[in-house]
Amino acid sequence: MKKRLYIELENCIGCRSCLAACTQCGGHEERNRNYVYDVNPLVNRQTMPLMCLHCVNPACARSCPAQAIQIHETGAVLSALVEKCIGCQNCTIACPYGIPKFDTEQNLMYKCDLCIDRTKDGIPPMCASVCPTNTLQWLTEVEIEAKQKQFNLDNGKWVTSMPYLENETNVKVNLPGILQGVTKLF
Amino acid sequence: MQRDKFFKEIENLQHPNETLVKTHCSYCGMQCGMNLRVDTRSNKIIGVEPRYDWPVNVGKMCPKGVTAYQQTNHDDRILKPLIRDDKSLKGTTKGFREASWDEAYDLIATNFQKLQQAYGKDSLSVFSGVSMTNEKCYLTGKFARVALGTRYIDYNGRFCMSSAAGGFLRSFGVDRGSTLPWTDLHETDCLFIAGSNTAECHPTSMFRVWHVQERGGYLIVADPRETPIARRADVHLDLRPGTDLALANGILNLLIENGHVDEEFVNNHTNGFEETKELVKQFTPEYTSEITGVAPEKIIRAAEIYGKAPNAVVMFARGIEQQHKGVDNVSAYTNMALITGKIGRPKSGVATFTGQGNGQGGREHGQKSDLLPGYRKLTNPQHVKEVCEFWGITEEEMPQPGVSAYEMFELMDQKVIRGLYLLCSNPAVSAPNSNFVRKALKDLDFMVCSDFYLSESAEFADVILPAVTWSEDEGTVTNLEGRIIKINKAQEPLGESKPDWQIQVELAERLGRGKYFSHLKTAKDVADEFRAATKGGYADYSGATWDKIEKQDGVFWPCKSEDDEGTPHMFLDKKFYHPDGKAKICALPYRPPAEEPDEEYPLRLTTGRVVYHYLSGNQTRRIQFLRDMCPEPYIEIHPETAAKYDIEHEELVRLYTRRGEAMFKVKIIEAIRKDTVFVPYHFGHDQSINLLTNPALDPISRMPEFKACAAQIEKSIKKVH
Ligand code: SF4
Ligand code: SF4
Ligand code: SF4
Repeated sequence: MKKRLYIELENCIGCRSCLAACTQCGGHEERNRNYVYDVNPLVNRQTMPLMCLHCVNPACARSCPAQAIQIHETGAVLSALVEKCIGCQNCTIACPYGIPKFDTEQNLMYKCDLCIDRTKDGIPPMCASVCPTNTLQWLTEVEIEAKQKQFNLDNGKWVTSMPYLENETNVKVNLPGILQGVTKLF
Repeated sequence: MQRDKFFKEIENLQHPNETLVKTHCSYCGMQCGMNLRVDTRSNKIIGVEPRYDWPVNVGKMCPKGVTAYQQTNHDDRILKPLIRDDKSLKGTTKGFREASWDEAYDLIATNFQKLQQAYGKDSLSVFSGVSMTNEKCYLTGKFARVALGTRYIDYNGRFCMSSAAGGFLRSFGVDRGSTLPWTDLHETDCLFIAGSNTAECHPTSMFRVWHVQERGGYLIVADPRETPIARRADVHLDLRPGTDLALANGILNLLIENGHVDEEFVNNHTNGFEETKELVKQFTPEYTSEITGVAPEKIIRAAEIYGKAPNAVVMFARGIEQQHKGVDNVSAYTNMALITGKIGRPKSGVATFTGQGNGQGGREHGQKSDLLPGYRKLTNPQHVKEVCEFWGITEEEMPQPGVSAYEMFELMDQKVIRGLYLLCSNPAVSAPNSNFVRKALKDLDFMVCSDFYLSESAEFADVILPAVTWSEDEGTVTNLEGRIIKINKAQEPLGESKPDWQIQVELAERLGRGKYFSHLKTAKDVADEFRAATKGGYADYSGATWDKIEKQDGVFWPCKSEDDEGTPHMFLDKKFYHPDGKAKICALPYRPPAEEPDEEYPLRLTTGRVVYHYLSGNQTRRIQFLRDMCPEPYIEIHPETAAKYDIEHEELVRLYTRRGEAMFKVKIIEAIRKDTVFVPYHFGHDQSINLLTNPALDPISRMPEFKACAAQIEKSIKKVH
């Protein structure tokens, strides 16, 4: 069954294990490809991961003049093809989240490929495997639907899939406030 | 065994030319399951792969765990024995030369024998640690008493778990760090967590913690800082460092007043209720608030939630334990479970978050100054007799109990102890009052250090022996649940490094004590002797065979025989380990921290960890990713307090106490009390916060008060003396 990356931002503790684990993926040349931010570091310890959302119609790929960014049949938006990338960095600018990173030495873009050598066989990506808080989860469509019900999304849509962002994304994100709909046990 | 809702059948990714070796993390008490990736051509560890089927962490790891494998083939590994002839270079990294094992052993044997001939058996000491297997911990105790014949052996658990041990022994009569398995935690209705920065120190507990809230349960956190776990708590009890005992008494008082006492349980299974009730009466919410600085409403709300919760778990860690009343704090929080009867059943109980990988097992089998294998006591003649018979020595040969870790440095200073064999520990960073400790190390007549990296403490050694990392040996570890697990060997020892058990066997032979050690040829030999040695003690491991550990996903002690499956839940029969079978509710009068703020030192200094580093940082500071994330210590301070001192974010300030001083970069954050500053303790030399901490010891556990002392900040860089 198809699985997706699902993100519950409010769970994040800022441990950056997702970044450490990203380097462990076979195809990742020991470089991590995502981000974790301190939301308001002078005030509190809230943190959040910023992951590639694997847009269904990705701005990064659309903006690439060399067609270096391929989309895998699973929907994963892959890292730039070494032989095609011309190092223009259009993708980084086009992506609403600035996800693609750039290797100045190799003049080459690199980005999250959702650990394609794992996820193509249904094995969770490294980040979601290790995330100790379940901020990052690897869920089936059914499980994601259950989450959608549990959290009472006000307009029935995940916020990241809003038109003013990137429309439909393969990764589903639950913004802060996951406990709002919870009824206390006593 | 326990397959809970978080468990999923997932196959591992298998790269070509690689094998996966099932094992556990080298670091904290969670002992997360992991697979090490081994290249089949070089036979070297090259990476990590999640171990999805380990029931405790189901594949999850913190950043330390993910990068732990990088320790094994690290450039900083010591590959040969090192000898330093020039004593004037002690306290530096200079002057070491490579030597053969033979030369190193000869030098050690000659010097040890010389010291003992001149100054007596007890002029030697052993200082060890619990980041190593049960087998090694056991053998270290035997080595000290049988090979060296010294009374002076103690270990770094005195800076970590000894207060929890002392508190549990007093309350329950037994010291198993958790009365229930971790796989119960997410199913409880209320977690009351005191003095644990769980998100940073035991991150892989967090998915269970959050799940309690997701189910509608409650999270209560007591901490002077709004840590990542406190940020999401239903109630955050933001107490002054060092005032836990008042808070616990205050909550106990409310639980009693509001009718949450389980009379049946208290009457039949406990002692001490009436006098405790009398004592806590004075701890009204207002009086408790005065001492702790926590608003009375919060104390009332916390007591109400815990009292009403059908099931609840009280948990704590070094925040409450590293105080000069750490044992009292442990018993006081444990009182909450005892008077409400929320213990001795699934989903309810008491647990400490064990700090070091083998903090539980390592304290049970004779590395502590007064203990023998199986948690037997050196002060109990029957116990001594049993162990003497087992080891084949006479009772006269068994040394007397020694002193605690910090007190050993005092004896070094007094020249009572003149030689030291240090292993698996880095007290030059981790002990309090480092100026004194470092001088004590420097003035030793002879010091041996066994480690795989040249630690700050190794800088004081005359001989350094290259030990292996956790991944180059095998054996058992007891995790924070009390679950005995198996560490597997993934690579042959790098260079000429050796496991500590082998070093001890060979050294014993040099010292003419081979007949007690020479039969131990493999890690398995040590394991078999170790299990047999625990038989009949109350930490009985005799039934915890390696096969059973493999089959059952670990074995919870006590496990007394081959067909005993072990004990995941303690006290299900409501029988505690005191002679009358009852638990003890303790009446504990409040005492303030040993050093309270005054005009000269108006701030409260507390210390702790960051998620990227482990203990003294000797391992994690060498791992690139972890160092990049947190390269240096800092001082956390509230913006209002910073304004008073006219200091800004990222500015360097001088922090000082009656014992020492250091410069730290300022990190301004509102998530800390205004009267408190915090510095992480993982750093060495002049970056070490333990230059400043207070060695005031708990009367029972001999735990120093790392968590509270009085300090002052100075803006200018110039030194005042
Ligand atoms: S691993 Fe999870 S909790 Fe840790 S920083 Fe990444 S998303 Fe946050
Ligand atoms: S999030 Fe950015 S990098 Fe990822 S697919 Fe969308 S546009 Fe591309
Ligand atoms: S340090 Fe502790 S929490 Fe982190 S991976 Fe290792 S055992 Fe797990």
